[in-house]
Amino acid sequence: MSKQGAKGGAAAGAKGKKAAKPGAEEKSEDVLQAVIVADSFQDRFRPFTLERPRCLLPLANVPVIEYTLEFLASNGVQEVFIYCGAHSEDVEHSIHESSRWGPGSPLSPFSALEFIRVSDATSIGDFLRDLDKRSMISGDFILVHGDLVSNIQLDAALARHRARREANRDACMTVVLRSVGTQPHRAAKARGITPVYVVDPTTGRCLQYEETHPLQSEHYLNLDPSVFSHPQFEIRTDLVDCGIDICTPDVLALWSESFDYELPRKNFLHGVLKDHELNGKMLYAEILDDGYAARASNLQMYDCISQDVLERWTLPFVPDSNLIHDQTYRRVKDGSYLEDHVVLERGAKVTRSAIGEGTAIKTGSAISSSIVGRRCKIGKNVRIENSYIWDDAVIGDGASVVHSVLAGSVVIGANAVIPEGSLISYKAHIDNGVQLPSKPPARISVLTDDKRVAETDVSLVGKGGKGALYEVVHGEEESDDEEGEERDPTVLQSSLIYSLEGLNLSTSSISTLASDDEYDSDDDVSMAGSLQTSESGRTRDRLSSFASDDASKPESFHNDAVHGLIDALRADDSDDFDSAKLEFMGLRLANNASDSAMRRAIAVAFVRRAAELLRPDQGGLEPTKAASESLTSKKGAVKFIKEVGVGGEGVTEQAEFALALQKALLGVRDLEAARGGALLAALLQKLYSLDVLEEEGILAWWADKRAGEGAQMDALKEKCRVLVEWLENADEEGSSEEEEDDEDDDSE
Amino acid sequence: MAPSQTSHVPTLDSLIKAFDSQSLEASVESLIFLLKRRQVKGDECAKATAHILCQVVTKSTWHDVDQLISRVQITGSRLARAAPMEPVIGNIVRRVLGLIRDEASEDRNADDGGSDAGSDIQALPASANLPQKPHPLPFRPPPSVAAAGLQVSKSMFNLLSVADTSDSLMTGASTPMSQAQPTSMHALRSEVKDGIDEILDEINQADDQIAGFAEIQIHPGDYVLAYQPTKTVERFLVKAASKRRFTVIFAGLDSPAPGSAEPPYAALRKRLNAAGVETINLASNGLMAYIPRVNKVIFGAKAVYQNGGLLVNSGCCIAALAAHEYLKPVIVLSPVYKFCPEDPSDEVLRGELGNPSSYVSYANGPAVEALDIESTITEYIPPELIDVYLTNLGPQTQHHLASILADHYKTEDINFAVHLAEP
Repeated sequence: MSKQGAKGGAAAGAKGKKAAKPGAEEKSEDVLQAVIVADSFQDRFRPFTLERPRCLLPLANVPVIEYTLEFLASNGVQEVFIYCGAHSEDVEHSIHESSRWGPGSPLSPFSALEFIRVSDATSIGDFLRDLDKRSMISGDFILVHGDLVSNIQLDAALARHRARREANRDACMTVVLRSVGTQPHRAAKARGITPVYVVDPTTGRCLQYEETHPLQSEHYLNLDPSVFSHPQFEIRTDLVDCGIDICTPDVLALWSESFDYELPRKNFLHGVLKDHELNGKMLYAEILDDGYAARASNLQMYDCISQDVLERWTLPFVPDSNLIHDQTYRRVKDGSYLEDHVVLERGAKVTRSAIGEGTAIKTGSAISSSIVGRRCKIGKNVRIENSYIWDDAVIGDGASVVHSVLAGSVVIGANAVIPEGSLISYKAHIDNGVQLPSKPPARISVLTDDKRVAETDVSLVGKGGKGALYEVVHGEEESDDEEGEERDPTVLQSSLIYSLEGLNLSTSSISTLASDDEYDSDDDVSMAGSLQTSESGRTRDRLSSFASDDASKPESFHNDAVHGLIDALRADDSDDFDSAKLEFMGLRLANNASDSAMRRAIAVAFVRRAAELLRPDQGGLEPTKAASESLTSKKGAVKFIKEVGVGGEGVTEQAEFALALQKALLGVRDLEAARGGALLAALLQKLYSLDVLEEEGILAWWADKRAGEGAQMDALKEKCRVLVEWLENADEEGSSEEEEDDEDDDSE
Repeated sequence: MAPSQTSHVPTLDSLIKAFDSQSLEASVESLIFLLKRRQVKGDECAKATAHILCQVVTKSTWHDVDQLISRVQITGSRLARAAPMEPVIGNIVRRVLGLIRDEASEDRNADDGGSDAGSDIQALPASANLPQKPHPLPFRPPPSVAAAGLQVSKSMFNLLSVADTSDSLMTGASTPMSQAQPTSMHALRSEVKDGIDEILDEINQADDQIAGFAEIQIHPGDYVLAYQPTKTVERFLVKAASKRRFTVIFAGLDSPAPGSAEPPYAALRKRLNAAGVETINLASNGLMAYIPRVNKVIFGAKAVYQNGGLLVNSGCCIAALAAHEYLKPVIVLSPVYKFCPEDPSDEVLRGELGNPSSYVSYANGPAVEALDIESTITEYIPPELIDVYLTNLGPQTQHHLASILADHYKTEDINFAVHLAEP
């Protein structure tokens, strides 16, 4: 149904029977097309997305993609193309089955709805490049994500977009944004990353796009000089980016030109705006002050949107609109919505909640600000607050569930306590009386990350329970390949944003919405947590480096740089280091890496190479030999270290580099402290003799407190005592003139 | 080339245009979702219902009256369920059902006795000052007509439709309707269609007809308080302004649409001022202070229930209460098609909740989190606060509502949706 249908159907459908549907006063007018990206290549909804695709997860008891389709239908879109990644069969099945949207269904408001599968897609960029090849898009189209909830009417934005396009062919895209004010807001807080738009307020033209987030090291942005050529510009961070783009087909061509763009914002928008000189394209921002738009892009947003739905911000997409055909929600007292056949025993209290059909709530239970699915059984004296309970869940008497997500068919035993932030995935059982841990909140799944049945953790879910703590396997490189179809490793590895947002979800819970303080503390927890776990995982690695501070730069840069350098050092066939240097500098520019990040990367690379040479299988060289081999075997390496690694004449820089070397040694596995120390001494000595480090630098390092922090560091340091003493002696022997010269150097 | 201003957003008009190009079921479905998405609401609902039922009559396959009635009932109840806060949908469905029943019995009558059975039952309440309609409003036929189930048809049409006989007898043998001799369903189809067109005409003309009573209701020198004037009220005031000199006080101002610098009701005020009528805009908290000065309070209703209670835009109730306290007459403008032969449902009594953004901006983060905002957009006004119901058939008091309802709806259609099993 997917690929072939897509090609034939679209062209036929465009001129087909429903060409005379809404908005066809003019024959020349193109039908409005839309592209839904239903997979975002993220795992922020794990463990729920192990079993169901994200766009089919219920939000207020309606699959998320229904909101998106309804949004498109309400804007008169007639042709829809859906790109699916993970679980594409499920998505296709559910859409094909529904009489409302099914492509063959005469009831569908769309004249065409096609699924497109791209087998080797690893990012949204791949989808859009694929779309470009198919040439199915005839005119302006709307690009949205499959998790959009919005009641915005795009008419005005579309009209303005067309006007701009008519005026100038290069005006190729309009980004629809919703302003959320300057005060902290739950939707704004939940997003983690703050998009920064530099906009010309007179024309609405978007001049620059950046992203900021709380964890970044540099709390500033560089404005492009070209921005200042505009008489007026605004820098806005008060915008919620709901991922609605009005595009011309040129946009797809741009994607195709830039084969490495993956994300529509971070890569594409940023890149196209930056390269305005090259491509000459102009992008516009349409900033709306009313209407609702948000993406359920992570659990925090899911929480936020669910509450907004209950509070009717999303009108007309509220429970009592009964968007799905067989729904029968009615608004009752206390701001609640009940479907038919809900049994509320006397004494059960439901406030500000939505309860699905066939659910029975026994006496004494209190449900507030929650959404309960269909056919749930809720016992006596149960307390449910701010929680999302999907279909067929069973909750025993006296249990309490606070601010958690319980997926379908979950069983919670009597008197169990589910504290804030817990995520309990499909079919898990929590035994009677079990209290789940609150810090960090548990994520319980009956499946492991690679979709195998997890071994039940009795200590967690109780004797009669089912399910285990769900942990994302980040540590081993190999695990990525196994789960390749599910989660794309390259996105996680290559992009800071995704790994950072992954952090938001992977360790912080939906409860971070609750307050600012909690948000902060949660981040701390997450970083502490990541420190305890694997040390070489991608996300974690970056985090541990962040927590231990000294280079809070993207781990992607660090990893890429280190790998690049080590490969160059290992290379047997050539002794040329220039290309590696070039690559390194390129990486540095691309990532805007700080000096300390570079220093650290270089230190790690050389130390690893040296440590490698120590190993028997690599030749088992003596520390001194290994040091000199690693440093001098390649031409230009020494110069590279001096210029880039140390990056300055000053004593401080040299001391920093020595410190970086020492720390890097700590990170090398299978290296006992004694040999490590010897290697450090050898490296320092060699660098000294190569005039990379001067004695003042080494002595400054020696005096630096940080070098002696912790037993291991101290052990490494001790090994260098001989060297330092030798240097001190040499220093004493040196003439006083030299000292003065050095002091001059220092002051420069 | 100028940019195209064509809107893609589906509306009632675009739906009506698309009727010919899509199947009936698709049209019904589109309308249901237009209703659910509030893209068709308020006064449009009546028109939309009439249009779609016309499609049901002309497009769906039915072989006898019972089938037609059940088709209309099913479609009607789906529409009514899609928009529980728009009772006017149910009214139109009932009107069409009544129309079908009338036409069916009329046909039998015509076959029996002569050519125009309908022409002698023209009498309508207060129809003297109405523009004469091509056909009378359907109302209950005399019992004798219903009982006259003739076995032999003299119509030529039946020569062609003999095949229908067996069908119709088999499908609905239990009801009196089907015992009627099968008349030409073709003729019935077109008659019902004409009847629906009349209902549509009535809907379209209602506002003008109501406005026709303006000079009787408004006296020179009056101070008229118009609370959130609807289209009906606007037309009424403009019409009155052409005959009378008076003062209009606008209350319950909506906040102006974002981006428009125009003060509320600017267009209406211009028209009234042009006619020499003074207008005053009142901030909502000034309402009470002005009530003693006011001669009458006027607003439009979304629906009138059989007890005389009203479904109105929220805010009207306070104006009505204030007027009631000062013994000022409260005049409700409501075309007859908004009269519901039922009591208000719980949902109506509770009022419909709108989007909180009319009171608190979503951008106001702290408020969004701290406040529970219930923004009701409709409310119920109890009958004792209302003095005059000004319909397109003339002014009525509460006590005459029952007869209007009896004239327009058949008792068997009042609960048309209840008979149907849950789908």
